[in-house]
Amino acid sequence: MSVFFTHWLTQNLLVLAGFALLAWTLWSVSHHERWRRAWLRFRADRTGLVALVVVCLYLLLGALEVVRLPAGKGGPQSVLDLFLSGITTEKTYSAPLATTLLSSAQPEPLKGRHLLGTDALGKDVLRETLKACKTALILGGLTAAIYIPLGTLFGILAGYFRRRVDDAIQYFYTTLASIPEILLLIAIIFVLGQSLTSMCIALGVTGWVGLCRLIRGETLRQTERPYVAAARSLGQSHWNIISRHLLPNVMHLVVINFVLGFSGIVLTEAVLSYLGVGTPVGTASWGNMIDGARSELSRDPLVWWNLVSAATALFGLVLALNLLGDALRRAFDPKQG
Amino acid sequence: MKDEGGRMNPESRPGWQRFIPHPSSFILFFLLLAGCDNNPNPPPLREKRDDGSRWLVRYGGMSEDPRSFDPQFAYDQMSRRVMEPVYDTLLEYHPLKTDPYEVRPGLLDAVPVKEVGADGKPSYLCRLKTTARFHDDECFPEGKGRPVVARDVRYAFQRLCDPKVESPFLANFSEYLPGLQAAHDAAEKSGRFDYDAPLAAIELIDERTFRIHLTQPYPQLIYWLAFQCTTPVAREAVEYYDGKKHGGVVRPDFHKFKAVGTGPFRIVEYVPRQRVRLERVEGYATTSFPTDGFAAEAPEWLMALAGKPLPLIDEMNFSIIRENLPIFILTRQGYLDAMGVNKDAFGAMVTPGREMSPKYRERGMRLEKDVEPSTFWISLNMRDPLLGQNKKLRQALSACYDSKTYSDIFWSSVAPVAEQLIPPGIPGHSREWRNPYGFDLEKAKRLIAEAGYPGGIDPQTGRPLEITMDMVSVGSEDRQRSEFEQRCFASIGVEVKIRQNTFARQLQREDTGDFQMSSGTGWGADYPDPENYFFLLYSKNVPPAGKNVTRFNNPEFDRLFEQMKTMETTPERLEIVRKMNTLIAEEVPQILNFHKAFYSAVQPWAPRTQNNLMLEGGVKFSVVDAALREQKRKEWNRKPLWPLAVLGGLLALAAVLGIRINRRRYV
Amino acid sequence: MFNYVIRRLLYSVPILLGVIALTFLLFNVLQTPEAAAAMAIGSKAPQQAREAWIKSRGLDRPKTEQFVKHVKNLATFQFGTSWKTGRELNEVFRQGAGPSLLITLPGFLAGLLGGVGLALYQVYVRKSLLDRSITLFAVALMSVPTVVYIFFLQAVGALMLNYFPASGFDWRGWETAKFVALPIIVMAIVNLGSDVRLYRTIFMEEINQDYVRTALAKGLSSGVVLGKHVLKNGLIALITLTVATLPRLIMGSLLIENFFGIPGLGNLLVMAIGTSDQPVVLACTYLGSLLYIGGLILTDVCYALADPRIRLS
Repeated sequence: MSVFFTHWLTQNLLVLAGFALLAWTLWSVSHHERWRRAWLRFRADRTGLVALVVVCLYLLLGALEVVRLPAGKGGPQSVLDLFLSGITTEKTYSAPLATTLLSSAQPEPLKGRHLLGTDALGKDVLRETLKACKTALILGGLTAAIYIPLGTLFGILAGYFRRRVDDAIQYFYTTLASIPEILLLIAIIFVLGQSLTSMCIALGVTGWVGLCRLIRGETLRQTERPYVAAARSLGQSHWNIISRHLLPNVMHLVVINFVLGFSGIVLTEAVLSYLGVGTPVGTASWGNMIDGARSELSRDPLVWWNLVSAATALFGLVLALNLLGDALRRAFDPKQG
Repeated sequence: MKDEGGRMNPESRPGWQRFIPHPSSFILFFLLLAGCDNNPNPPPLREKRDDGSRWLVRYGGMSEDPRSFDPQFAYDQMSRRVMEPVYDTLLEYHPLKTDPYEVRPGLLDAVPVKEVGADGKPSYLCRLKTTARFHDDECFPEGKGRPVVARDVRYAFQRLCDPKVESPFLANFSEYLPGLQAAHDAAEKSGRFDYDAPLAAIELIDERTFRIHLTQPYPQLIYWLAFQCTTPVAREAVEYYDGKKHGGVVRPDFHKFKAVGTGPFRIVEYVPRQRVRLERVEGYATTSFPTDGFAAEAPEWLMALAGKPLPLIDEMNFSIIRENLPIFILTRQGYLDAMGVNKDAFGAMVTPGREMSPKYRERGMRLEKDVEPSTFWISLNMRDPLLGQNKKLRQALSACYDSKTYSDIFWSSVAPVAEQLIPPGIPGHSREWRNPYGFDLEKAKRLIAEAGYPGGIDPQTGRPLEITMDMVSVGSEDRQRSEFEQRCFASIGVEVKIRQNTFARQLQREDTGDFQMSSGTGWGADYPDPENYFFLLYSKNVPPAGKNVTRFNNPEFDRLFEQMKTMETTPERLEIVRKMNTLIAEEVPQILNFHKAFYSAVQPWAPRTQNNLMLEGGVKFSVVDAALREQKRKEWNRKPLWPLAVLGGLLALAAVLGIRINRRRYV
Repeated sequence: MFNYVIRRLLYSVPILLGVIALTFLLFNVLQTPEAAAAMAIGSKAPQQAREAWIKSRGLDRPKTEQFVKHVKNLATFQFGTSWKTGRELNEVFRQGAGPSLLITLPGFLAGLLGGVGLALYQVYVRKSLLDRSITLFAVALMSVPTVVYIFFLQAVGALMLNYFPASGFDWRGWETAKFVALPIIVMAIVNLGSDVRLYRTIFMEEINQDYVRTALAKGLSSGVVLGKHVLKNGLIALITLTVATLPRLIMGSLLIENFFGIPGLGNLLVMAIGTSDQPVVLACTYLGSLLYIGGLILTDVCYALADPRIRLS
């Protein structure tokens, strides 16, 4: 079983399936009147377009690392590795474009040049920064795969059926929300054992509350609208009303929430790394790189390149996501702009 | 969309804007308020001594809070650091003798010698110094401290047995000291410990004299007498400070953070997560600076200390700081008197020639190297079906492990590679000894093939051999360490999977044996004796009974261990130790890594007087030149004002720019 | 109103119970008593001492019994003692709340004032380049991880310029300010970004209201309208939105307190997590939920006070 999941082909297919799902969702909603109007507005929004392009660049970068190659021993493991195959690994720290190791104890010459220097284990910082894209994307993607269905479904159910169902769901999410988020995250990660998957599950479990509340509110508003009453009087099933009428009308909120939530996840990962429950050993991540600066900054000569590259990369993605989220909100809800 | 607000006239700029403070004004406000002083240390307890001379304060750091100031209970490093200057021990480590370590009298007037009684049982006759006194405290009549008597020593040993004290030390003594375990069990049954009953191990002879009886030879007892757990405690103090309410006032709890000591300092303040402050005790005369043991090249000022009364300073201030960066900053500013040079500050402070770098030498800082009596290794689970059965595999794993590079990366090459389990400074450590399965990649590749996994490939599955390694993950450095280890094993084709655990989970795995390899295990010597290391591989010490995490079980080793464990250190004993070393080197239950060692950067005003790591700081031996410190601090803490001007300028520019843009749009 | 609050309080009981049950469950799965003992009294302690420790803490009792006792203790605010330091938690919390509030409250207020100021200004110049650049600036502020601010300000303010102590805390009257200044600045910056954006939305909503149009039509200057009417009405909306976060300020900030050595509750929690100090973590969780629910009730009350049309029923 585990061989099946670790096989390069399966992994690629899974990734492909994920992207296909995303594309299908976008395509299917694009018929919707509201989405078409939003797209027209979005097209005129320069900041939003730039942000979208930046996010897509990050996505592409992540995808390059995500797509695996058939494992040859010691050879490139992903498409990204192909591009970066010429990069050597040194013994330990070296400054950007330096010719010798930083360690004053052994000023050994380096095997190659490194645009952004190398880290404690001599890994090229540029490569690590690029590879960390994948970690961020997996975190965001998997987490979304967990919390979006949960949040949307429960939100719509609570808003549509009201009464008991609403009470139960409200109780459930108020309880979860009242536990300090970071504690819940850590507890879940500890219980499941540290890995990327358990991080995603933890983030998903804490993340769906906000979405659920949002969707519930919107559904409450939508069910007051005549079209729902009409559908009901026509004798349509609950399922039909929910999937045909309600879901498309709240979908834009899900998308905005996802984009903004994504940026939150990337930032949370940095906090979790600091608390020692970050991504597992051997996974490049910006949070880990930033956390490493805790000690690297008390070095002299200062090791700043690790912190600066990771922070810049993270900043770029989070900023782009935030701007994109804002732009989407403006596009869907022009009054707010 | 039409925008009504757009018609606003900038000329009628409302007055309210002026009253809403801009965030930047807060920054300026705080800068003015606080910019005058960046010293986090509290002002000294007193300005001057009674005789008008300077009041001398030392500033040190602690990485976490102490757990308790109860000598029979606390075992952690931070508690010991605080208790050492507060409680004198019966014997103490000679500050200047480290190879080998040696004890000298503390509260006792001489180091006791073994006598063998008529029944063939060994015993030690001890006499307390007349100068040994408890500090003045309200628990004593009229608040005056009384002399330490033999009864107090017995009381301390009784407390070790009291189940309520939860002392972790009892198990170390119960095998050798008669009556201890029985006293514990009796109290467990009755629910109350009888402190008036005699204790077979401690025979009171007169006020100052007592005899310690043993059931069998135990030369290590001498070292235990230099440990805080055997230090005498006043019964009045324990019973007075019960943590309960008396007359509306809650008294502190002796079991927690109240100390009534016998040493040169008393605790005047402990603010959790902030600091511990100690003040010199007037009239202390129990110990003085040693007159022997000085190195041949000892400087004059150090020689001048010989025989001086202790302590040499008036106040000790421990700040509790958990992060690395602040420690580095505070040392640079002169607010800490010394710091351990971690690998990160290392590049700044140490040159390739292992000297202080010019930048810091200019500041007058000195570098001290300490090798701690400790060893670190990766435990291999000998009960694991894969690792336990295959000796060649263990040897291969050991031979591919590059401890040298590990030390280079994570210890700035300071920590010596561990060739044997016993660390330097402890009898039985041999400088010539080389680990037969030390790092040798070619050999490792050969061995892995002989083990049945050529190239690390498992012939049954055709895939690389997989081994799981457990580790504690606290920070990014731990991750880097295990990534390095992973890479070492990968060099012979073995795929090591890392499992990250919380500290508690890791302990649990080690206790239950639910692991294959466990990284980052180490042992710091409790006392300088090889037995303290070999008992880690003794088959009767498998957890939960002891700390034989590897579950090593070798009859020959056990036999040798039982033979050597209570011997005096003689050439014969060292021969046995050598045999045991050979045996474990061949069996490889552990992949030896390094002996912990570090450099400390020492400020010019606080030179080291001793380098003994069996002491936890040796506060009472430390000195300080307060005048020099004052001068240097001033020099090192100049506050440039131009950044403020730049900041103000930038804000002004932003404001002007804002208004300009504003005008252009609306006029 | 009074009745409503009582009802809300009653409603919060099952929520708190749920929280306690969930955290109790998680931490019991997480840590066996044996491991807890080893953590608490040191890994070198012999088995005998560990067993004694487990017994004295009642960890060998059935789980249901432990849970009932746990709930009882929390309900009566008897938090017990820390496993790691042995200190009374009630006292620890009392001591930690002060330093925490000293960071978070001024940080919150600075964010609030700065945010309101900037947001009003943005509304004043709305749809201009300046408005957009301030929004961009605010979003950029939000996109930097807190640790990076901390590293930067510590390195600049403490290491390079020697303006502030690098770490530490002490109650020393006015001089206490020098310890908290840098942490407060970080806190304010971290808050400012999201605050500005939120407040701008609020004020923009107000500006589209009828009363603003009426006031402008009456010939009042736009500054007066902004400064008086919009600010006043906006503040009401703003307070109702932010009041929920107020109680949690007591819990302090995890990262900031830790890096600057502030002995607050956030710092306490980080240490407790690191050392698996279960009583501290459970008590902190409980306090956190209590404060959260308090915030929710406060919000409702504020809504009612702000808008008499809303009947709390």
